[in-house]
Amino acid sequence: MTSEALLFVLGGLLVLLLAWAVWTLTRLRRLEARVASAWTTLDTQLQRRAGLAEELAREYPATVGEDRADYLAAFAVDARAPADGDRELAENLLGRELRDLPPGLPGVPASVRTDLAGTTTRVSLARRFYNDAVRDIRALRRRRLTRILRLHASRPLPRFFDIDDRLDGVTASSDGAGQRRR
Amino acid sequence: MRIGLVCPYQWDVPGGVQYHVRDLAQTLRRMGHHVQVLTPAEREESLTDEGITFAGRTVPVPYNGSMASVQFGPVSAARVRRWLRDGRFDVVHVHEPAPPSVSLLVCMIAKGPIVATFHTATTRSKWLAAWGPVVRPWLERISGRIAVSDFARRVQVEHLGGDAVIIPNGVHVAVFAEGPPLPGYRRGVDGPTIGFLGRYDEPRKGLPVLLDAMRAVVRRHPGARLLIAGRGDPTAVRALIGENLRPHVALLGELCEEDKAAFLRSVDVYCAPNLLGESFGVVLIEALAAGAPIVASDLDAFARVLEDGTAGVLVRRGDPAGLARALCELLADPDRRAWLSENGARVAAGYDWEVLARRILAVYETVLPPEGGGVTAVDDDEFPALPPARVQRSARRGRAPR
Repeated sequence: MTSEALLFVLGGLLVLLLAWAVWTLTRLRRLEARVASAWTTLDTQLQRRAGLAEELAREYPATVGEDRADYLAAFAVDARAPADGDRELAENLLGRELRDLPPGLPGVPASVRTDLAGTTTRVSLARRFYNDAVRDIRALRRRRLTRILRLHASRPLPRFFDIDDRLDGVTASSDGAGQRRR
Repeated sequence: MRIGLVCPYQWDVPGGVQYHVRDLAQTLRRMGHHVQVLTPAEREESLTDEGITFAGRTVPVPYNGSMASVQFGPVSAARVRRWLRDGRFDVVHVHEPAPPSVSLLVCMIAKGPIVATFHTATTRSKWLAAWGPVVRPWLERISGRIAVSDFARRVQVEHLGGDAVIIPNGVHVAVFAEGPPLPGYRRGVDGPTIGFLGRYDEPRKGLPVLLDAMRAVVRRHPGARLLIAGRGDPTAVRALIGENLRPHVALLGELCEEDKAAFLRSVDVYCAPNLLGESFGVVLIEALAAGAPIVASDLDAFARVLEDGTAGVLVRRGDPAGLARALCELLADPDRRAWLSENGARVAAGYDWEVLARRILAVYETVLPPEGGGVTAVDDDEFPALPPARVQRSARRGRAPR
């Protein structure tokens, strides 16, 4: 009698555990999709920023300054395909170079300036949303039960992407978005 | 862009979140976007504006010195599903999705890019600490989080385990800056007047403190008058005012938006003596836009809007003597009032809806999936918690080495 009851309770627990595992797998799958989508967006914006930096260095060396244009171009190339594989470092160097550009970018058409300001804003948004997604999936992957049941245990744990994307400087004059009251 | 906005509070009851959603919808429409709003309401007939869908009624629950509205259940869920299917949105933007409301329902049912704005700034809430983990599986579906202030963002980080971009509440600056004052209350002429705005039956708005302070103010400035605008029980507030103060107080009742702007353009000083729980203080920005010098209690949110006391006078909350001193000083100093008034316009410009809507649009664009595709509702059998039989192929899994 008692053993039957015990069996019943154990069976119930097993069903609960199974339901939890299925539900958690759904959550993990959804979070993976979110991380992937957020990364694609971030990558696109970073590539676009590198492209704009290359354009600035190529077309407007007078504004950027001849020697700085070389740096800018080199950093942009490195950000697109980092030689040592450290994308964060490469993007940081490019970001700093862009922040150090002369304020207002005299001689550069408004369309390029707006584009650069908009892209900088979007890099910062995309990075935050990507890290947010990574934080969510890491929190779920780190749960004790998730680890015990080895849910998604064989998959790589997404990494945070940390770069300094302060907006001051770049957006000084050209774009209303994303600069006030941060 | 096709945008679906979700407001969790009853549309026909005045409130900050409701105004936020309404103004955002207006501004986005003016910029040429297609905007639909889903919201509960006290009476369905009151939703006369175009593009607003009734989501049902809510059950009021006392929470944090104010009323929270709770809404849940299969009927509401069906309404949400229909709205999502009919709307064919590119992005859905929910407001305050943590409490059990239509916003949380949308998070549960919608499939696709979701943006959420968090308004609450109460960090010491046991309720949130316990509830956060419960709703986490659904809040996880939000791809872009916005907080209206540092404090609202802190709630995110501490209780709901996320980060958020800060985009403040906005006002239509021009509506408040331009126009006539209330008849009979011209600023600097028929005065001096002190304005209070808010529901006076809510203790957290701090009207009793202001009334106490007024007793001291009228001794120094016998002509000073307090104008009270807002909803509440007039008999109760008259008892609170008392005989001796009665000639110095005018009850204006509830004002329509237009009159509220005129009211803020009329008063010589606007006073916000709130005691707690104010997450943002849009009314301060409205007062700044209307050029009203401000005396406000030192709530974090108010200090933020008033730039730590440079854009207005901050006083210790719940301190009638301090409040009276600040009011008396400001009433006696027209130059300071003029400077505050001028500076206020500059501060308010940063909160104009035109500026903020552009930033919110940038958030929408950032969460749109690169491969395209808008928002749909999950299938009925998928709700509430069972996973679908068909496994979706995600972009990442496609790339990962097997």
